[in-house]
Amino acid sequence: MLEVVILIVALIISLIIVIKSADVFVDNIVEIGLALGISEIILGVTASAVGTSLPEFGSAMIAILTGTPDMGVGVAIGANIWNIGGILGISAIFAGLITTQGEELRRDGVMAFLTALVLTVSLFLFGNISFVLGIILIIMYGVYIWILIRAQKNNKNKEIECCDISEETSQEGKSQDSKKSLNTKTIIFAVLGLVGLAIGCRAIVYCTVELSTMANISEGLAGILLAFGTTTPEFFTVLSSAKKGLNSLAIGTVFGSNIFNILIGLGIPALFVNIPVEPITTYFDAPVMVLITLLLLLLIKRGMKLSRVEGVILVLAYVIYMFTRLFFIM
Amino acid sequence: MYEKIMVATMGEYMDEIIKHTLDIIQERETEVIGIYVVETSVPFLTPKKVKQMMATELRSRGTEILDSLRQEFQSPQHYMVNFKGVMCEGNPADEIVKVAEEENVDLIVLGTGKNIVDKRLLGSVSEKVVHSAPCTILLVRTS
Repeated sequence: MLEVVILIVALIISLIIVIKSADVFVDNIVEIGLALGISEIILGVTASAVGTSLPEFGSAMIAILTGTPDMGVGVAIGANIWNIGGILGISAIFAGLITTQGEELRRDGVMAFLTALVLTVSLFLFGNISFVLGIILIIMYGVYIWILIRAQKNNKNKEIECCDISEETSQEGKSQDSKKSLNTKTIIFAVLGLVGLAIGCRAIVYCTVELSTMANISEGLAGILLAFGTTTPEFFTVLSSAKKGLNSLAIGTVFGSNIFNILIGLGIPALFVNIPVEPITTYFDAPVMVLITLLLLLLIKRGMKLSRVEGVILVLAYVIYMFTRLFFIM
Repeated sequence: MYEKIMVATMGEYMDEIIKHTLDIIQERETEVIGIYVVETSVPFLTPKKVKQMMATELRSRGTEILDSLRQEFQSPQHYMVNFKGVMCEGNPADEIVKVAEEENVDLIVLGTGKNIVDKRLLGSVSEKVVHSAPCTILLVRTS
């Protein structure tokens, strides 16, 4: 019993370390990028997409590379189902209303659905995530980031067109100012963030493996349960932005995280090892991920919003999934 | 009677609030202070970049709201109104009360219209202001 308590405490501490390290890492890597002259738009788009998803990525990567691939895949797929059914559902219940725009739905929503579909179909066909599939997933992410950057540039151009010349010159001034000089402290903090992320993720995987052995549950299911912890940044981001009425940020975080978790969270580890996937993930978890993404898109499409009732529908869908997974096909 | 009126809005119920405020002012020389509070509080594990994005987004929304308030109150029909926009960061209820005290306003106009579920889940700025405001409050009932 004491061992279980120690492992749970260690798991929670590791999760906090990972989330905080990811924060420090992203923050300083953006500073380094600015100093190297990388466009603020590119950095902004990638930092916001990557920022909240690093704990899932780190945990999935370490789990796959240390010989527990089922847990790694479980974290990625479990996080995606929880992001929609749990996080977005609960946020819609609290906020009462989350609206979206057609452009976001067509770009991010369709991409999230496509990502889930590509992975599921590949798993049905091949039963594993190979090097080639890894390359395809990473290329898909590259294309998505390119689309995001192009959209961001278009928005900036529109803003500049709206403003007068004096504001335009001040914008130029701002972008020149934004090229900061690189200092040692920034590099040290970026490295420390990365080290914290790696150590924390290793500890998370260790604790989860030990706990799953004690509880006699499969590593895949343990990964799905672990996703509750690794998605904490998404949870707080989506919930607080929905409550503040920042709807684009709320929906964008969920779609962005779901796209990243599959395309990068599973794409990058597949470059190092062939990832075997257990049948239950192929025939149950992955199709559920596709269905819940489709359910979200259908619910949003009716009126471009998620109401409290639709939030309840999403949460119920998640509860049914977890109940079935825990008690019927464990 | 009311020479200095504070109009507090987070972007909701704006039309109703403006309509009621203008009805009180009528043909008198009045100073109207429009206030928008950027609520930056987020839970402990929210990424720093996300927090910055939220603050930027809310500040730009605040500017838009204060601009539209200015347009409404400083139109030629309301030449007697002197409008001032205030944007601050923090807890909305606390900031509204603080600025009302500093500016020595005679009346705070706020909107109210959340149902009981929204009040429980989101909280109500109006209810908090009612308990600690230094002056009279007009709660505009909205649908």
